Amino acid sequence: MADLNTSGAGAVSGAGSVAKSGGLLAWLNAPERRGPLLVAPALITLFVMNIFPLLWSFGLSFFNYRANRLTVPSFKGLDNYEKVLTDPVVWERFQTTGIIVGASVTLQLIFGFLLALLFAKTFPLRRILLMLVLAPMMLSFVSVAIFFKLFYDPTLGLLSWAIGLFTGEPFILLATPAGSIAAIVIADAWMWSPFVMLLVLAGLVSVPTYLYEAAEIDRASPWRRFRTITFPYIKSLLLLALLFRTIETFKLFDLSFLITGGGPGASTETVAIYAYRLGFQFFRTSQASALAYLILFVVIVLTSIYLYIVNRRNEEG
Amino acid sequence: MKLSCRSLEKSFGRVKALDGLSFDVPEGAFFALLGPSAAGKTTCLRTICGLDRPDRGTVSVDGEDVTQAPVQGRDLAMVFQSFALYPHLSTEQNLAYPLREAGLPSAEIKSRVGEMGELLRISHALGRKTTQLSGGEQQRVAIGRALIRRPKLLLLDEPLTNLDAKLRDEMRAEFKRLHRDLGITMVYATPDQLEAMTMADTIGVLQNGQITEIGTPDALYATPGSIGVARLVGSPPINLIEATGTGAELDLGFAKIPSDHRAQGALTLGLRPFDIQVADTAKTALLQGRVIVTEPLGDLEIVDVETSGNELKVALRGAQVGQAKPGDLLPLNFDANRLLYFDTKTGLRLDMSPVQN
Repeated sequence: MADLNTSGAGAVSGAGSVAKSGGLLAWLNAPERRGPLLVAPALITLFVMNIFPLLWSFGLSFFNYRANRLTVPSFKGLDNYEKVLTDPVVWERFQTTGIIVGASVTLQLIFGFLLALLFAKTFPLRRILLMLVLAPMMLSFVSVAIFFKLFYDPTLGLLSWAIGLFTGEPFILLATPAGSIAAIVIADAWMWSPFVMLLVLAGLVSVPTYLYEAAEIDRASPWRRFRTITFPYIKSLLLLALLFRTIETFKLFDLSFLITGGGPGASTETVAIYAYRLGFQFFRTSQASALAYLILFVVIVLTSIYLYIVNRRNEEG
Repeated sequence: MKLSCRSLEKSFGRVKALDGLSFDVPEGAFFALLGPSAAGKTTCLRTICGLDRPDRGTVSVDGEDVTQAPVQGRDLAMVFQSFALYPHLSTEQNLAYPLREAGLPSAEIKSRVGEMGELLRISHALGRKTTQLSGGEQQRVAIGRALIRRPKLLLLDEPLTNLDAKLRDEMRAEFKRLHRDLGITMVYATPDQLEAMTMADTIGVLQNGQITEIGTPDALYATPGSIGVARLVGSPPINLIEATGTGAELDLGFAKIPSDHRAQGALTLGLRPFDIQVADTAKTALLQGRVIVTEPLGDLEIVDVETSGNELKVALRGAQVGQAKPGDLLPLNFDANRLLYFDTKTGLRLDMSPVQN
């Protein structure tokens, strides 16, 4: 943006004669202005759609604005943050989110890692199977949510039918809080394990074969081979997967909202859903903004911890 | 330990890497597998150590067939061309790697690693990551890791290829010293005749997946069995001259020499550059050569001369060095007794000596 301004200001005196003869188009078409001109649409879009709303909502979090009232909002300082931080419901939602994040990310890392070990080998139909396994992460949240809603359905669902074969009764997974959390975790882990697999697979295929051969000649056991050769190659990628998935899962909204609607009660209501309800059901817009920034803060803290660990490891290495 | 390979065959798709390869290595020998790239040297070593299984044939160690034995079941070690050091471990950990698996007490491991560091002069680098070492140090760590378990057989796959020329010279002597001090059987694959000639006590020439000739370095140099082997061994390379036998005489194009009656038709003659000398005078010279290029090497000078359509390499020594200039006409002599006779068609050496005057 600074570039655009300075070149524009400089052109007023310098290109005055050109402007007279060729008009605005010729002035814009000058070689030194073409670059900024081509970048401008992207920058303007970014600013209007991303940066401005971000700053605006940050500003809103210090007022008592409500989106369904016409009254002029007044400045309230840190009142909204105080309300959010002292609200016991917020802490409950953070706990729910934490449980889902912990369980889901753990499952994703385990299954992603095992899948990567499987696909690092060559076997018949590997390419086709790999595409099938990657499919979940490319689907939209809504379709995944609908799949699982049907899958868990007590009367139509496959899960209920399969368990019914043993118990003789339909099984209602979403009836209990624990079952509902499990339902969300399974859906999220199913969707995102392939992502972890992709990262780990990249690490696995980067291990030179001759290291394994050397280890074989050195009579290393499979476990030792894994620990001293394979693991160092995938360690940083696993950490990266952990970071990405933690941040993403922390913001989990769609699956929970669509499969359980946050229920039963509020047992699967994540902070993201609570922020949505604050903003769009209770219309406490400013308070919702404050909560959203609180979530952002938590994510930044998590990221910083991750970067700190990685940097320390690099210094050791 | 005695190693014996019998008619090994191994194909990768349509490519035949080993094609009926056989050789024996006696206990404590330094055996060099000499061959151009893609001759099957690496496949041969990988078959011996068990990383590859041959399609046919047997590998036996001390008379015991180990062809199908797992890698871990063979008491041998290998030094890879790429060194194959574990990049995330320190030098010390790399050296100790084969020992940890054997379940030795850590005091024993420590003392052995220390010993190996002394032997290979890498004690100063024990604490460092192997990625921070120079090429020569990495090479030594690779050798140390192979030797530390005290295997009975050591396989080396072009271990000097990735080093610079000066280091290669040093390491050649180092290998000889190690072989002498440790007395283990070594099989050393190399495309470089200099390495094979200087270090090995027996050389097996490997061409197109077959051992074409086995012999001592001296024997391979003096009486190579074929044109291919003659070309492979010796530096500067042997001169090959197309000649025609007319019964009593052999016509080399630039000279005629007396011959016995068997020399009929087309022959290829081999003449080492060191067997050609500068004649005292033009009168006593057998041939005249026009100097094309000179390569001075200190005490030695390689001169390329051209004579009646043939190009010959001549090795000059002593006072003759530095005398020839490009364009000069050089009077040359050679000893006809030193000529090697090859059948042009089959490439095999013919056991013939020129008629004595």
